[in-house]
Amino acid sequence: MGLLDHIWLGIVTVFTADPVFSVAGLPISITIVMVIMGFFFGIFVGATPGIGGPFAMSISLPILISIFGFTPDALLPVLGFLVGIMKGSTVGGAVPAILFNTPGTPDSLMTTLDGYPLTKKGQPGKALRVAHFSSVSGDTFSDIVLITCAPFLAILVEKFLDFPEKAALIILSLAFVSAVVGSNVWKGLLAALLGLFIAYIGTGEDGYPRLSMGSDNLANGFPLISAVLGVLILGEVFKAFEDMWREMRETSAITNVEVKGDNKLHWHEIRRILPFIGISASIGTMVGALPGIGNTLAATLGYATGRKVHKDDPPFGEGAIEGIAATEAANSAVAGANLIPVLSLGIPGNISAVFILLATETIGGFNPGPQVFRLVPDQINQEMVYAFGLFTTMIFANGLNWTFGGVFMRWMGIMIKIPKQRLLPIVLLLTLTAIYVQQTSIFAVYVTLGFGFLGYFMRKLKLSVLAFVIAYILANNLEESMREAFAVTGADPWFLFAGPISISFIGLAIAVVVFFARNQKDLS
Amino acid sequence: MNNQRWTIGLAVFFIIASAFTLFVWIPLDIETGVIETFRRRVNIGDAMAPTVMAAGILVVSIIMGVMAVLRPVEDAKSPEEGLDRQSFAFLLRLIIALGAGLALMFYTGPLVVDLINAMGGEIGTYRLLKDTIPYKFIGYIIGGFVLVFGTIRVIENRFSLTAAWVAIIAVLVLTFLYKVPFDNLLLPPNGDF
Repeated sequence: MGLLDHIWLGIVTVFTADPVFSVAGLPISITIVMVIMGFFFGIFVGATPGIGGPFAMSISLPILISIFGFTPDALLPVLGFLVGIMKGSTVGGAVPAILFNTPGTPDSLMTTLDGYPLTKKGQPGKALRVAHFSSVSGDTFSDIVLITCAPFLAILVEKFLDFPEKAALIILSLAFVSAVVGSNVWKGLLAALLGLFIAYIGTGEDGYPRLSMGSDNLANGFPLISAVLGVLILGEVFKAFEDMWREMRETSAITNVEVKGDNKLHWHEIRRILPFIGISASIGTMVGALPGIGNTLAATLGYATGRKVHKDDPPFGEGAIEGIAATEAANSAVAGANLIPVLSLGIPGNISAVFILLATETIGGFNPGPQVFRLVPDQINQEMVYAFGLFTTMIFANGLNWTFGGVFMRWMGIMIKIPKQRLLPIVLLLTLTAIYVQQTSIFAVYVTLGFGFLGYFMRKLKLSVLAFVIAYILANNLEESMREAFAVTGADPWFLFAGPISISFIGLAIAVVVFFARNQKDLS
Repeated sequence: MNNQRWTIGLAVFFIIASAFTLFVWIPLDIETGVIETFRRRVNIGDAMAPTVMAAGILVVSIIMGVMAVLRPVEDAKSPEEGLDRQSFAFLLRLIIALGAGLALMFYTGPLVVDLINAMGGEIGTYRLLKDTIPYKFIGYIIGGFVLVFGTIRVIENRFSLTAAWVAIIAVLVLTFLYKVPFDNLLLPPNGDF
């Protein structure tokens, strides 16, 4: 079976497998229904200040797994829903930033700089249309790069990397994530090492689960989903609780804006913003392809580059549509590109990618990594079919975004009226319920809360939660690669330095740490 | 005073914790060594990965601590951000709200059943009744309400009737969302009984 056969099978699976109903005689598959639901849910949560794509993905994942089960048939519907959320929340995130100067996420902070001034001029509709057009353009560009690059990168990895090189590559990725996320390289490394160490509790190859202190609850280690959701989501919820608790002493009024003047996006304006979208989409895609560097840096770089290029009036910061376009195209382009390291190397780069990987690990039957794109003569590589199915869901979600996303996004301005301090406690209960429903054990809830408090302390003490979570997820792969590499090199203790590629990876890992340690600015 | 007090504190904590792990926890709680020989084949043992990570944490903490002591950040005008007294006050309140909510969620159902039995009801154990209304929902609804309402109370620092209604509606909607379309899903605490 060739590459084209796998692509076709992926598309057919998405559109025809398990139809739930039909429209005019045309069967509509469960995967398509899930992408549509995920997409609109994504815009809804993206537009709700205080919760965003990662929250929605974290709450949905355990529920989806409870509904669809652990069979490979569940993969595409679950991944489709998560992809829908990822795409929807990316455009939805611009709504509170533009309409109410309230960035729901750090990356939409830059959108407020020009989006809110345009709203104050009475043109919120135009600002939202620019944000939508730029965001979807950047996202589509990034997806095209993902679909064309990931298979080839995976083939290269599969061809040239053996176990020692794969172990060295994971070490390089962790060193890179630790060094670039946050302001202090040593804290980043500490977070990654802590994530690795905790992942090794209750696991191992011996009959007695190591470091489990004899507890039956720890016999299989901490549940992956509890650890990831606790640190990433509950840690953020607890931090937000505290911020609100401190802020409740101050009152802030929301200014109502009167809509006036031209709120449409015209062709001559699209031509004006296209160069900015092009530059920012390229920056976002490049940044997104590197593990650990997220939307915020992409948005900042896109905005800063756009400001240098922009010569006309109004200048950036005073309601320039080019400013909105530069930011939105850059941060949206990160989403697709972040799946390049996931699908080609099995290494997640950002939080959305963590949830995609978490879904595949939990359900089984699809292990993102270089083997996904391996062609076997006269056989179907089911993992490759899933990968192209995933790409199909992304393209379909982009189609939804181009057609319905803009209108739905503009309706979502009402979401700002939901008070965050009353919404987040409900999100907390929903997350704990979702964990319980999947694990059916109160111990999993306690573990999730424990990791939540760990995430809270890590945020307060500026330890990178992303480095921790990525290390936690990669811990098992790293140990397996190490064990295999040690075995295949005949118990060579220097197996990481067995070949030029692994030496280069380790050298690069050390260079990255040294470079960022010398240039770090702590306590900024 | 050094302006990186939290970084130094963190370094000291992890130096002590990693040293304890390396010299006490790992030797006592892992049955294989760092390297294992089985039928003349040399393999990496279960102790290798945790030992390397704990040693890494120790080294990184020492470097982090030494650098924070020797090279305090010059342009920082105020002490490093971290936890303050208010953070701990907030955490204590949050833990009370969460603890009360979870305890009620876990124990209300069994306690109600025990109470009815003690009063001569003879209705059987909670395990037998966990799929029967109202017992299957009672713990989740009461515990969930206390968890949501208690947390809103902590954040807003006041009792509010609207918040109580929000909590009641939220917990009823969640119960409905989980149980009506998916009857096989178990709400807390029913999976533990």
